[in-house]
Amino acid sequence: MAETEEEVDVLVQRVVKDITNAFKRNPNIDECGVIPCPEARYNRSPIVLVENKLGVESWCVKFLLPYVHNKLLLYRQRKHWLDREALMDITCTLLLLNPDFTTAWNVRKELLQSGVLHPEKDLYLGKLALSKFPKSPETWIHRRMLDKSTKQQQQQQHYGETEQAGAERSQQLSDQLARTLHQEMKVCSDAACRYPSNYNAWSHRIWVLQHMAKGNIKVFHDELSSMRLWVSMHVSDHSGFHYRQFLLKELSTELSQTSACIPTIMTSPQHQSSTVPSSCSHNHSHTQANGELPGAEAAEDERQLGFHTVFQLFHEEMELCSDLIQSFPGHETLWSHRRHVFYLWHNLRKEHQQHCSINGGIMSGHPKDSDLCLPDGDAQSCAVRGESVNGQRQASEPMEVDGASLPEPCDSKRLKRGVLLPGPPALPSEHSFVSGVLDRCSNPEQRRFALAYKKWLDTVIGQQP
Amino acid sequence: MATQVKDVIIKPDAPSALLLEKHADYIAAYGSKKDDYEYTLSEYLRMSGIYWGLTVMDLMGQLPRMNRQEIIDFIRACQHECGGISASIGHDPHLLYTLSAVQILCLYDSVDAIDVDKVVEYVKGLQQENGSFAGDKWGEIDTRFSFCAVATLALLGKMDRINIDKAVEFVSSCMNFDGGFGCRPGSESHAGQIYCCTGFLALTGQLHLVNADLLGWWLCERQLLSGGLNGRPEKLPDVCYSWWVLASLKIIGRIHWIDKAKLRAFILACQDEETGGFADRPGDMVDPFHTLFGVAGLSLLGDERIKPVNPVLCMPEDVLQRIGLQVDLLS
Repeated sequence: MAETEEEVDVLVQRVVKDITNAFKRNPNIDECGVIPCPEARYNRSPIVLVENKLGVESWCVKFLLPYVHNKLLLYRQRKHWLDREALMDITCTLLLLNPDFTTAWNVRKELLQSGVLHPEKDLYLGKLALSKFPKSPETWIHRRMLDKSTKQQQQQQHYGETEQAGAERSQQLSDQLARTLHQEMKVCSDAACRYPSNYNAWSHRIWVLQHMAKGNIKVFHDELSSMRLWVSMHVSDHSGFHYRQFLLKELSTELSQTSACIPTIMTSPQHQSSTVPSSCSHNHSHTQANGELPGAEAAEDERQLGFHTVFQLFHEEMELCSDLIQSFPGHETLWSHRRHVFYLWHNLRKEHQQHCSINGGIMSGHPKDSDLCLPDGDAQSCAVRGESVNGQRQASEPMEVDGASLPEPCDSKRLKRGVLLPGPPALPSEHSFVSGVLDRCSNPEQRRFALAYKKWLDTVIGQQP
Repeated sequence: MATQVKDVIIKPDAPSALLLEKHADYIAAYGSKKDDYEYTLSEYLRMSGIYWGLTVMDLMGQLPRMNRQEIIDFIRACQHECGGISASIGHDPHLLYTLSAVQILCLYDSVDAIDVDKVVEYVKGLQQENGSFAGDKWGEIDTRFSFCAVATLALLGKMDRINIDKAVEFVSSCMNFDGGFGCRPGSESHAGQIYCCTGFLALTGQLHLVNADLLGWWLCERQLLSGGLNGRPEKLPDVCYSWWVLASLKIIGRIHWIDKAKLRAFILACQDEETGGFADRPGDMVDPFHTLFGVAGLSLLGDERIKPVNPVLCMPEDVLQRIGLQVDLLS
């Protein structure tokens, strides 16, 4: 049909309007895409709205895109005037078809700055664009800009309040922040499901936590819990596992500095060393501090407690990793995860030992024996861990071998809390894990990765000063 | 249970000889026969597209076939008041396209066609307090932009205009336990980002900050049985990642750690014998982007029919000699 320039003009203007109207008619559109349809069906709009899905028939895209594209560029060169309404409609259509068109997002950034466009609207547009183009770097970039300005605005409003209104406002703000966080996590999850190892989605997720939840142990911990099932079902997704590494690193840093939320994390059912993937995320109320122990002793006490929480997180992560490696042989991602988690743990333990020896007491009898501060590196403990390769859970079994080597006072502290922890990862137990895999598995890929891991342990970890 | 290995199989009849003339014809014709739709879709990166096409033509000794004056006029028209350069006319300026434009002008030995001082001011103005660089005035931070900034300034001989110590500090903060780099602190290692960061450290003379053995190891693990390289674990091999990994290995002096013959065979298999050009993987559609990185990769692997390529700037070495830019690599 549309052949002459004028016809195209009329057609395209109608289509842009149809898209705008579709959004007015249904503000809950949650996905958009192109419907393969090589030819126009007479006298019917190429915009199809079925439930919450918006479709554009493919035949019209080749008219639509160049038209809106050129319109915007002419406007940008001040050769053609567009009012704000038209700008919003045109950039919306343009970005749903070609979300990496940076300048179109920039036009919307200017509309946001001048206050005619609400950030929520663009977070929504971005979400829709990602439903079709889950990697689109420019869409993620625009989101970060929106998130940053929303946060700034909230803070500015907050400064303007009186003290009493401030308290109320403060609650509102934290609710708002929690909503934004939740929304961003959801968008990242959807994009991660649509495209495997989606670098842009996962690095956005990391950015959001760094900018909106820095130091918030509860948020990081909930993320770690809720991602457990996801990674178990996406064992090739290196970015998903990297996200867990990021969470573990942040949590271990935070937890060794503070004890604020330790009691609830320690006693949560999730953390009874369950190796079964679970998506349950529970509420930790972390308002109460762990008693009011005064002075340096209390601080040291809390530090120890924090460390044991970290210790447990690492133990669980290695358990999860072992399970997945055995259930899904031959995945480089899982072996790479193992390297990173072990590396983090190894370094943390070294730091902790240094701290223990500096603070005296703990290491006083054995200042040079690096394995005595914590119950690991024990040959018998390795044997037990080796059995978990066969599918037996050692979590329910008390680690009597550990008990034998537990030194003071880490040990007494732990016993005082009534928590008996299983063996954490250590170099000999890792070697034993590798041997177990090599003994039992004939999958050539799995064997190759196991050998590479062994070599990595020998060279990277073994040769550390 | 059989694991599905993420790799490609190179068919026995895949191309195994370098089809240089075909590639030159493909690039020379590219752009002239594009319909409106295709052209529109990729216009947001036009300047980089021109850089890819011209660089691969220069590497093949075919640069005179391209329309020099038209391209220089185009670049001039893309420079904005702020000094930055955009991907195309009417688009907004960005560091990515500012670098591409400067690279093109270096190929043509015509940097003076634009206002160089303003470019320098633009780049300088994008540096943040923590040393990082924003890609444009809207503030997105990425180690890619740190590379673009120093590469642009190095080509213009104005590296001293930014705070290099701070810039290095930021890039170093993006280093990961595996020796690799991500886009921001805490982000996953990625071969493309590693190329940018090792290139950045080479240009700023700070390669000693890299753990070359550890990073070299990670990079070598990108090689799959097909010979091709991927950009992260369990991703498919790709000609462009083959370039980024290979160039990074060259920069840190570990290129001999991979199987060069197998990589060469993989890259050659990604040629299209009929149309010319390279695709990401054997049998896929060709494009100028993969054509540049295919040819540049073969150059790094020592193909003598192609000019030597500089692994940091992805430009012919003779161009860098002409402008007197020497980048030291690790040995």
